[in-house]
Amino acid sequence: MSEAMNVHSGVDAAHAVHHDDHGHGHHEQSFISKYIFSMDHKTIGKQFLITGMVWAIIGGLFSVLFRLQLGYPDQSFPILETFFGNWAKGGQIQPEFYYGLVTMHGTVLVFFVLTAGLSGTFANLLIPLQIGARDMASPFLNMLSYWFFFIAGIVMLASIFVHTGPASGGWTMYPPLSALRQAGDGQKIGTDLWLISMALFIVSSLLGGLNYISTILNMRTKGMSMTRLPLPIWAMFFTAVLGVLSFPVLLSGAILLLFDRNLGTSFYLSDIVINGEILPNEGGSAILYQHLFWFLGHPEVYIILLPAMGMVSEILSVNARKPIFGYMAMLGSLFAIAILAFLVWAHHMFVTGLNPFLGSVFVLLTLLIAVPSAIKVFNWLTTLWRGNIRFTPATLFAIGFVSLFISGGLTGIFLGNSTIDIHLHDTMFVVAHFHIVMGVASFFGMFAGVYHWFPKMFGRYLNNTLGYMHFWVTMIGAYLIFWPMHYQGLAGIPRRYLDKSGWVSFNQFGELDKMITIVSIIVFAVQLMFVFNFFYSIFKGRKVTTPNPWGANTLEWTTKINPGHGNWEGEIPEVHRWPYDYSKDGRDFIPQTEPIGANESKH
Amino acid sequence: MQHPAFEEVTIHHHTIDDAAFKKKVRKTTILLSVITVIELAIGLLIYNIHKGENPSELLVLMFKGMVCILTLAKAYYIVSVFMHLGDEIRNMIMTIVVPLLLFIWFIAAFIWDGNSYKNLRNTYDKHFQETTMPAKHHKEEAKPVEKPTGKE
Amino acid sequence: MATTATVHQTKWWSGGKSPFNLEYGKVMMWYFLMSDAFTFGAFLISYGSIRFSQNFWPDPNVVFNAFPGAGHANLPLAFVSVMTFILIISSVTMVLAVHAGHKGDKQGVIKWLFWTIIGGLAFLGCQAWEWHHLITGEHAVLIDGQIDIIGQTTRANPWGDLVSNEAAMAALQKTPHETLVNLAHQSNHAVSHEQLVAMTDQQLIKEIKLDELHIRSKGPVAFGGYFYGITGFHGFHVFSGVIINIIMLMMTQKNVFQNRGHYLMIEKAGLYWHFVDLVWVFVFLCFYLI
Repeated sequence: MSEAMNVHSGVDAAHAVHHDDHGHGHHEQSFISKYIFSMDHKTIGKQFLITGMVWAIIGGLFSVLFRLQLGYPDQSFPILETFFGNWAKGGQIQPEFYYGLVTMHGTVLVFFVLTAGLSGTFANLLIPLQIGARDMASPFLNMLSYWFFFIAGIVMLASIFVHTGPASGGWTMYPPLSALRQAGDGQKIGTDLWLISMALFIVSSLLGGLNYISTILNMRTKGMSMTRLPLPIWAMFFTAVLGVLSFPVLLSGAILLLFDRNLGTSFYLSDIVINGEILPNEGGSAILYQHLFWFLGHPEVYIILLPAMGMVSEILSVNARKPIFGYMAMLGSLFAIAILAFLVWAHHMFVTGLNPFLGSVFVLLTLLIAVPSAIKVFNWLTTLWRGNIRFTPATLFAIGFVSLFISGGLTGIFLGNSTIDIHLHDTMFVVAHFHIVMGVASFFGMFAGVYHWFPKMFGRYLNNTLGYMHFWVTMIGAYLIFWPMHYQGLAGIPRRYLDKSGWVSFNQFGELDKMITIVSIIVFAVQLMFVFNFFYSIFKGRKVTTPNPWGANTLEWTTKINPGHGNWEGEIPEVHRWPYDYSKDGRDFIPQTEPIGANESKH
Repeated sequence: MQHPAFEEVTIHHHTIDDAAFKKKVRKTTILLSVITVIELAIGLLIYNIHKGENPSELLVLMFKGMVCILTLAKAYYIVSVFMHLGDEIRNMIMTIVVPLLLFIWFIAAFIWDGNSYKNLRNTYDKHFQETTMPAKHHKEEAKPVEKPTGKE
Repeated sequence: MATTATVHQTKWWSGGKSPFNLEYGKVMMWYFLMSDAFTFGAFLISYGSIRFSQNFWPDPNVVFNAFPGAGHANLPLAFVSVMTFILIISSVTMVLAVHAGHKGDKQGVIKWLFWTIIGGLAFLGCQAWEWHHLITGEHAVLIDGQIDIIGQTTRANPWGDLVSNEAAMAALQKTPHETLVNLAHQSNHAVSHEQLVAMTDQQLIKEIKLDELHIRSKGPVAFGGYFYGITGFHGFHVFSGVIINIIMLMMTQKNVFQNRGHYLMIEKAGLYWHFVDLVWVFVFLCFYLI
């Protein structure tokens, strides 16, 4: 490396990007390189979003199907038989189909929609735009990340159509059930495909995560110090760190499970009799798999939630026209959550035979999470407090996120106590808890992000009226669906059960289950309306006429309305201040690119 | 001054001259080899302790602890000299070293629970205890086994 | 530009430059290795967890005591130390290749990469031999009241506790003829196979020297799964490292790096290779030393 080599002069260096294909939009790209194998982070983000939406429809449809069974266990729906044949013999969902549906619903929504669809979309879209970079550190690996995700999706989709059906051991895929082919149809090729698909997904997630981390650390524009980063970027950063450190552990667990299934090893198996046959496996431990799974599984919860938190922080601040309350406290709590995420995994395993004393350590660590979570909640509320709030659909969804995060988070305190968990584990209470706090809340963060950054993505607005309908129906619907499940869970109704009619004491919940089913169908229909709004608005939506429609400070609004590959036409702007100078010194907002004035007050 | 290909990098000045670098590499190689030899010697020592009449568990454990520490020393030299992490600036070193602290709880919790699983089975699964407990402890079996010593 | 750069010289995090003074590729490589460390960590920690859940675990000195060409000589840890040294030396040659790259010395890079590749292949060869030896090994083990001859596989482990002579004697009475022939053959090479086959069971049992056979009970099955699983995964890394190094060698030869003006790719390949060595240090510790 000789120093005498051609060192760029000033202007050149600002223009020249380390990837030679970065252009200034002069040359025409072919359709394939522009929309399919694109290396533009914005296009890749949109690819993640649209693929995620397709998966969300599939996963949501699965939940509607098994809700039909739960709400109307005795009713026959001939149309199901038309579509699913033997899986719904006589118009009734068969047990194997039910378990397949439940498993796929969990897998698809947790991994494909809320991991890839959420952080894949917004990390790709926002990181380079908000930190002031032309693209990701490695656009090529970024493209590979999407395509690995795509292939993982294809494999998962294929598993639904194999003769013996998809994996049906629950989305957590616990052995020994998932390790034994003899255990049922879903444990045959479907489970192998599930494991392969997850391995591919992990590769995708690693490629993406490594890119996000090195982009955020290495490619920030001049003046963009770490404490001037917008909060979504910090959230994406911790999300990526969580993914990079925890997904490999799931990979190890999945590889060992594949070995147990196919090579006769005994990592997870011991002392098993199945269908009268005594298996030779000995010495393994089924709890070991759960440890490995939840070492990923718990951080995974935050991988899903943190991007939503970050985007909500940004959207609330922009639309309340107020600086975010406690920026450093927000950072600190994100950091604390990221650390604690790695230390609490066994709270998913209190009743598995885990050492109770070890369990009590996990209780302590788990309850600590309440501290940074509460800090975040209070900061969001104080950001809104006495703000000049613009109730756009994005704002509403962000406020909805805060509401869901509070009500879902509080039930986490119940479940985090091992003593109460003895009663509540594996009941509908758990289902209610994690759907509200992680599932629906993250969806709300995602919707808020889509409504807020849609103008940046497509140069048009989403339809507002449909947006408000979408919000109110989803918000009320989500509470109507999941709130009653708490009561069911407290009464002892187990999750994942196909038919509860055997328990007389559960009969009183029949009407409630019907109500939940009806509401979930309505909510699903409204999501389809959102999808319609999304695609309609891409082509026919109201056009954006100003580069900065929300009056926001962050860098993405300094680009053209429809930025090309490379984002900024001239030099990348330099940053002089933090991103939350709203309503300051009598001014509505002061963009990050504006130098600090002589008489400016400190924030 | 910037790197010719990467604008975000100011050029590294490799001030260490050739001879000094080669010397450093030679020194590290010898160090790694010596540590490995010591490790092997301890391994054989453990073997001989096991062969003896009444193997002292404590002594074996001590030697195993020593091997673990020596391994960490080896890892340190590989990462710091061969992988040049020692030559990077402090920021980089910290972002690599700090996340590794997660391994502490990762290892502790897994081992703890593994051990607890053994105790559970020894208590409730007599067949497991009878078939896997090493025979040489037959004499001691009269006492209730609380802390089975036979993990090795 | 040059002046602003000097002003920011100490403010690593202020943006517009890498806070590590490293190009993104190297940063990504480091973080990839970090995540791979968690993959290996998870394997080794699982192994630890299972090992702590067992009452008995084989002494590695008993398991790994063979050396190619040394027959049945008891040479604990000898072969694995050869493997370890091969990997250390190949790491050193990789360091020298990276160093040659710093200086833009193409011939140096080629030379040292070549030796690194040879080292990697030698290591893989050693591993293949060791696996083969363990799988095809014949060990007398007391299973279900009779003596069986098994190797170290993922389904069986022959390295349990030593069986007392009385128990072994009782087991021999129930052991099938063929196995007895095999055992007698191990004890007494002087008698031909045909002669042994012709003997009765009792005659064969007399031929068998129990003290030399070291008959053991069954060991923990998990041992094989973890040993093959983890050394296999490590071997896969060595293999991919060799492939990467071969590609680097070809690219060097074709002047790709010369034309680029820097040999940073070699550095990244080097990081990967050293990581493989680093993992071996821990595999060595976990399976062979403790």
